[in-house]
Amino acid sequence: MSALDYSAVSKTFASTIALEHFDLGVRDGELISLLGPSGCGKTTALRIAAGFEHPDGGAVRVDGADITRTPAHKRNMGMVFQSYSLFPNLNVESNVAFGLRVRKVGGSERSRRIAEALERVQLSAFAKRYPHQLSGGKQQRVALARALVVEPAVLLLDEPLSALDAKVRTTLREEIRRLQQDVGITTLFVTHDQDEALAISDRVGVMSHGRLEQLGTPREVYSNPASAFVARFVGQINELAGTSNGNGIAVGDRNLPIAPPVGAASGDAVIVLIRPEDIELVELDDPSSPDALPGTVVGEDFAGSSSTVWVRLDRLDTLISADVAPSSAHQPGQRVGVVLDATRARVETSAAAPAG
Amino acid sequence: MIPTSADDQLVVLEEELEPSSTPTVSGALEPVGRQRRRTSRIGPTIVLVACALFFVLPMVATARFALQNVPMVNLGWSTVFDRWTLRPILDVLGEDQFRTTVVLSLKLACLTVLFTQLLLLPTTLWVHLRLPKVRPLIEFLTVLPYVIPPIALVAGILVIKPSVPWFLNSDYSLIPFYAVLALPFTYRALDAGIGALDVKTLVDASRSLGAGWGTTLARVMIPNLRSAIVASSFLTATVVLGEYTIASVLLKETFPTFMAQYGEGHGQGGMALALLALLATTALLALLTILTRRRGVAAQSATVF
Repeated sequence: MSALDYSAVSKTFASTIALEHFDLGVRDGELISLLGPSGCGKTTALRIAAGFEHPDGGAVRVDGADITRTPAHKRNMGMVFQSYSLFPNLNVESNVAFGLRVRKVGGSERSRRIAEALERVQLSAFAKRYPHQLSGGKQQRVALARALVVEPAVLLLDEPLSALDAKVRTTLREEIRRLQQDVGITTLFVTHDQDEALAISDRVGVMSHGRLEQLGTPREVYSNPASAFVARFVGQINELAGTSNGNGIAVGDRNLPIAPPVGAASGDAVIVLIRPEDIELVELDDPSSPDALPGTVVGEDFAGSSSTVWVRLDRLDTLISADVAPSSAHQPGQRVGVVLDATRARVETSAAAPAG
Repeated sequence: MIPTSADDQLVVLEEELEPSSTPTVSGALEPVGRQRRRTSRIGPTIVLVACALFFVLPMVATARFALQNVPMVNLGWSTVFDRWTLRPILDVLGEDQFRTTVVLSLKLACLTVLFTQLLLLPTTLWVHLRLPKVRPLIEFLTVLPYVIPPIALVAGILVIKPSVPWFLNSDYSLIPFYAVLALPFTYRALDAGIGALDVKTLVDASRSLGAGWGTTLARVMIPNLRSAIVASSFLTATVVLGEYTIASVLLKETFPTFMAQYGEGHGQGGMALALLALLATTALLALLTILTRRRGVAAQSATVF
């Protein structure tokens, strides 16, 4: 097992900054997901660890040893790629054997390790098949076996599930997590899919514009986002325009008991960010909820175990979503009161909160 | 998490989720399909027969002129089976110069293939991997030898001739010029082969598994580019075996120059030689088709399991 550390790593492509003073420490046996939109630098960070890109500044270390200038083939990294990367001319067994042959592991030792690796991904029966004879999911599992069989210091996963259909993705991501925990290998997983990142990671690093916006457990990142960007990118979020009034936030004609952002003066425009599950729908003019914002139900997304109701707020003309129990029925046109959980709301000044 | 007890079912589950891509045709659709196939075959068959005639008829005419001891004015339908002889071919085969020029041309073909592959394979790969933006420029440059007639290249050679007589005196000095002449064909064959692969990912995968550039080239790239390499090699060889202008100007005795020279003194013999060259080239191209197709057939048949 090994630890992977980035310290102040920077990388620029032409005029585009891919990474800017990027710091990250992946502990022994830990799985960290780098999550972010396209172009945020997550893949560049991974490729720098693999040795396929060289940073302009900073250092990458494995167990304290600086590998920044070590060629890719001498780093002992295992990598699984987004696109299918099995060698088309070799069958499954030979693909898995490739790294061992390069390392001159021969004879019974090689056979044993190949058999073990294929057993681990439950593909022993497919040893003689060629890549084009396998489904996408199986190809990625072979790629995983091929990466792990060489006992790499760190496993690097570059969106390995993005080419697969939804059901296989879910199955395979659980399998990746099980294998990672069984082997106890330090893993860096790059994805743009928040469900994947939240489901299988020890910690999630959310990236934006070449920087790490937040690093924390999936629960921390979701429940206590460090920035408006993280709040918007991870999970669903509603945004309501309001005004700071010194001791609360005025939204529509209601004054909500939400603390204004630090430094906001009375009268400053603010954005209230709140997740659908932190919103409650009540009867209109419910005397127990005087702060409820009046609105009209415009639709409902029923998803079996949960349900999301869409409500247009009267005075703001803003559409918000609220998670409700699937048993509670809401009809389009129904008048409701919208209650925000003030303790869960996050407020940003309008200038700090980019549109979208 | 997946419980371990369910592991065995996983493979089956995934099989169900991702059915084999082998197409299945419903029985009810078969008659329509067959009918359409039958009618759609007529057009291609006509084109195929027309092409075959276009290719075969000149060869038959050449064969009749070369191998029938019948005056040319009498070569009609009535004399199709008259006085055939292999004498002109045997005479040519008996010429010392025939053997030496064929051997030289074959040597030049092999060495040019080697030179071209050593030069172009890494270059084309590098362009795909590291310099994708210069691909249009490389494509333009490689098509130049096709656009500019060889005689223009010869004019250039004559300019440098006095400076490098030691080089141009050797028969093997033809190799770089032949490599240039073959560029339009060889580059395109390699470029298409490399373009069909996800070269970047394969190279990255190989390197992440511990392979250096040499191992990656030998064990990953070359085996996966076999068809493209074979195609470009054969195209190079056919260019070399047919090139006359440069060899003639540089006073080299290659097979094409011998063919032209021999034809001047032996009408029928020259034609017999041309026929032999044509058949040899055809055989070479047929071999190329078989070699490149066999891999495709093997891959296709392997998908049925």
